Amino acid sequence: MRPLSEAQLIRRAGDGDARAVRALYERYAPRVYAVVRRIAGDDDLAQDYAQEAWIRAIRALPTFRGDARFSTWLHRIAVNAALQALRRTDTRAKREAPMPETVPVGPTRGDALLQTRLEEALDRLPDGMRQVLILHDVEGYTHEEIGDVLGVASGTSKSQLFKARARMRSLLGPIGRQDAEHGVEAWSI
Amino acid sequence: MEHLSPDTLARLVDEAPDEAESAHLDACPECAEEWALVQATVDALGRLPDVRPPRGDWDVLEARLVSEGLVRHEGGLRSTLARTPGWMRGAAAILLFLAGTGVGAAFDSTTGTAVPGRSGAGPMVFAAQEPTSVEEAAEAMRQAERVFYDSLVRYRQMVDAEEGDVVSVDPQRRYAALEYFLAAGEAAVQEAPADPFMNGLLASVRAERQVARAAALRQASRTQDWY
Repeated sequence: MRPLSEAQLIRRAGDGDARAVRALYERYAPRVYAVVRRIAGDDDLAQDYAQEAWIRAIRALPTFRGDARFSTWLHRIAVNAALQALRRTDTRAKREAPMPETVPVGPTRGDALLQTRLEEALDRLPDGMRQVLILHDVEGYTHEEIGDVLGVASGTSKSQLFKARARMRSLLGPIGRQDAEHGVEAWSI
Repeated sequence: MEHLSPDTLARLVDEAPDEAESAHLDACPECAEEWALVQATVDALGRLPDVRPPRGDWDVLEARLVSEGLVRHEGGLRSTLARTPGWMRGAAAILLFLAGTGVGAAFDSTTGTAVPGRSGAGPMVFAAQEPTSVEEAAEAMRQAERVFYDSLVRYRQMVDAEEGDVVSVDPQRRYAALEYFLAAGEAAVQEAPADPFMNGLLASVRAERQVARAAALRQASRTQDWY
């Protein structure tokens, strides 16, 4: 039997077919979880936010017309769900939480330490800086798109981004210099 | 010579340096090195991998989707049940039974009948009320179903946590949870003493509790200095 196309899966999921929903989840859960985890900066919150994102997405599936790619549409829902939930949640107490025990997708090489340090440094950034940095440098949003999502001017997004990068460098300082001594390849991911 | 500010170096990842900045970068190895590191950091951020959700995430989501009526029951429920250990299904079934017969009032702290391992009122608190119409019966069923899923989700989370990291399993917490199930099971059997299904479930919970008790004792003997 031929596997269902994504359009078929989406249509069936929108009709409440649990298997189709599961198939979409299997395909996109790592993507959704990664972005909400980084925005949330906390494992427990991330799980809640990811669940909320999926609930919203499945609820809105019947309205999905295919104007954008499904992955883009879902990603935007996830980002919005995480940002809105974060505004409602006082995360300061949780900011000290240890790094997640979640598993990165894809092969990991000698860069595991660097990835961990990057994720740790991201978690330590203030919310505003972290959100802009993730949306721009990790997720590839433009400053205009970030402005729309966060409700700020694109100039504010830019200045926050530069401050966030500078803060990241300060947080990663020792590892950066050490790696630099061993050559640029230590940074390649 | 004054170095370029960190914000400026961060900006120069996206924008071309002006003449003065460019001249400074040519003349200052420290700033040039720091600029390269900022660029490397940005590159590394862009290549961070996706992250798998924690184990059990789908089960929790599925339960929510079902409880909100966003997916149909068939298949999903069956697959969840198929992956659920027997004792957990038993405990969930007992809770469903209790809710359905109104004995769930025993969970309500206001009745004074506290269940070990649980404090306060939660989704399992039910008002004992005999349905008098089809609508009321349907609503009672929906409530019972929600209780069932809440229970299932909690049990799955607990088991997933145990399966995920054997070293971190806390037998004493598991034992305490089973005590809770046992109390629920005993209440169910008291309500229906001749029911073979309830008695079977209770036996299953007791067996699991026995195993958990032995594990908890082993852990205690390893971690405590009895002398």
